[in-house]
Amino acid sequence: MSRATMNLTAGRLAAPRLSHLSWLLLAVAVAVGFGLPAVVGSVLVLTLLTQAVIGGMLAVGVGFLIRQNGVVSFGHAAWYGVSAYCIGLLLRHEVLPVEAALVLALAVPTLMAFLLGLVIVRVPGVAFSMLTLAVGQAFHEFAMKAQAVTNGDDGFAIPLPDTLFGLPISTVQQPETMFVLCWTLLALVIFGLYVTVRSPFGRLTEAIRENEERARFIGYKTVLPRAATYALSAFVAALAGLLFALYNGFVSPEVLHWTLSGSALIMAVIGGSKLLWGPALGAVIFFFLKDLAGNLTEHWPAMIGVTVIVVTVLMPAGIAGSLAELGGRLRKSGGRA
Amino acid sequence: MNGGTTGGFAIQGTALTRPYGGFFAVNKVDIAVPHGEIRGLIGPNGAGKSTLIDVLSGRAAVWSGQVRMDGRDIGGMSVQERRRHGMARSFQKTNIFPELSVREQLDIAARQAEKPNVPEVMEELGLTDLGPARARDIAYGEQRRLDLALALIGRPRVLLLDEPAAGLSMRESLNLATLLRDLAQRWKVTVLIVEHDMEVVFSICDRITVLQLGRVLAEGTPDEIRRSPDVITAYLGSAA
Repeated sequence: MSRATMNLTAGRLAAPRLSHLSWLLLAVAVAVGFGLPAVVGSVLVLTLLTQAVIGGMLAVGVGFLIRQNGVVSFGHAAWYGVSAYCIGLLLRHEVLPVEAALVLALAVPTLMAFLLGLVIVRVPGVAFSMLTLAVGQAFHEFAMKAQAVTNGDDGFAIPLPDTLFGLPISTVQQPETMFVLCWTLLALVIFGLYVTVRSPFGRLTEAIRENEERARFIGYKTVLPRAATYALSAFVAALAGLLFALYNGFVSPEVLHWTLSGSALIMAVIGGSKLLWGPALGAVIFFFLKDLAGNLTEHWPAMIGVTVIVVTVLMPAGIAGSLAELGGRLRKSGGRA
Repeated sequence: MNGGTTGGFAIQGTALTRPYGGFFAVNKVDIAVPHGEIRGLIGPNGAGKSTLIDVLSGRAAVWSGQVRMDGRDIGGMSVQERRRHGMARSFQKTNIFPELSVREQLDIAARQAEKPNVPEVMEELGLTDLGPARARDIAYGEQRRLDLALALIGRPRVLLLDEPAAGLSMRESLNLATLLRDLAQRWKVTVLIVEHDMEVVFSICDRITVLQLGRVLAEGTPDEIRRSPDVITAYLGSAA
């Protein structure tokens, strides 16, 4: 094993020390998820919130890639969609027990992304974005054309089992319970990514993002960490796709389309990707804005567009970034007083 | 000079050639630096100094010729392998990790070193008090020292420096020169330094190689270079 590989392994094993506050925030976030359905009451709002949380998870994956690798993906719907198709096809053909199928539906897109990442992370900037777009659209085209496998444009209903991990399947199909599940998983994902970015591996990928050449000249092989980061962001997108498939019980090529990747990117931009939870906040704003504007006009995308312009001009770090900046200023002024 | 403890040359380039655009930036250059020597590499703009450093460090591929370190052919080695073999370099433009703290980036560099020496390097380069500071927020002179610190982590045996004093004040340049001389002697580091600041070059180098249009024009001690009519004509002019 090379020293670079050993150090990477050591980096993964050396868990960063987490403050009590981090654990407390995680507990509070999970508790809020459990309490929110009782407070909200409306099934319609809960449905919207569930969609927002699933979309938020996809956006968190996109935002994590921007934060750690400094590149923009226009094709993360690929991993979202591959996961959704994987679980759909595995259950449709009754190949595996549902629990194993769930694991495989996460593992397949993550592994595919890692292998693809080993090639495409070598390409910088816009070229990387275009490659992700091309790959995403290739998956979409495959889903459209491979009628025998995917049922083409029409998609197919996923034959869900009666129970999942001993729980009735309605747990993942009713917004009251699915919201709690999705919210909890989102909180855990953000927490897991937080641990990752604070680990030696996370610091290394930040260093590579900052100055890849210098990282190479201090002895690091840079492709592997960048590919691993890409795969990790794809895993998060795949988890979102899996939740989507379970919640809707249906999968069609729309889940692979570039417009979904674009929406996730817009959510990440609105929320800001510097903070891990920023894209999730962006997703909530995106879905509620879409719903509100959709009630007023069929031209709701224009309102999303205006929001993106306003945010990028007035808050380049996104809404979450600006809130964090404001919080920092208040703490400083409080400290001085 | 500490020199020659194991005999031979610490770093050696033989008949090195590297095209750049439509011409040869480095054209059949021979250079051999004995162990422990500080070698200056000077020449007018476009002489091929930085390209030669790039070829020796692996940043640019060797088009033809051979690069040896301690007698071993390293021409096919990646930059990471060269680093593990004991070669480090700094860059013409400050090449650090701007968003990371000083300490964080030195720790990252230390994870690849056989013998991590972060506190020692920070002390030597006067960076100890700057540990928590974000690199982009520190002064330019401090950034240049951080750049050098990244190269010095793990005590490399061969150090290639591309204009380490660029943009520094005269006082900072001379302090850096003194520091380099001192470190090279104590740590037994072989240094090849490209520098435009003649005060720095003539004060610390054991020998100097002069390049012109990609070829070696002259080589010798600082005094010999000062007296060389070819060098005076081509480069130093009346300043010599």
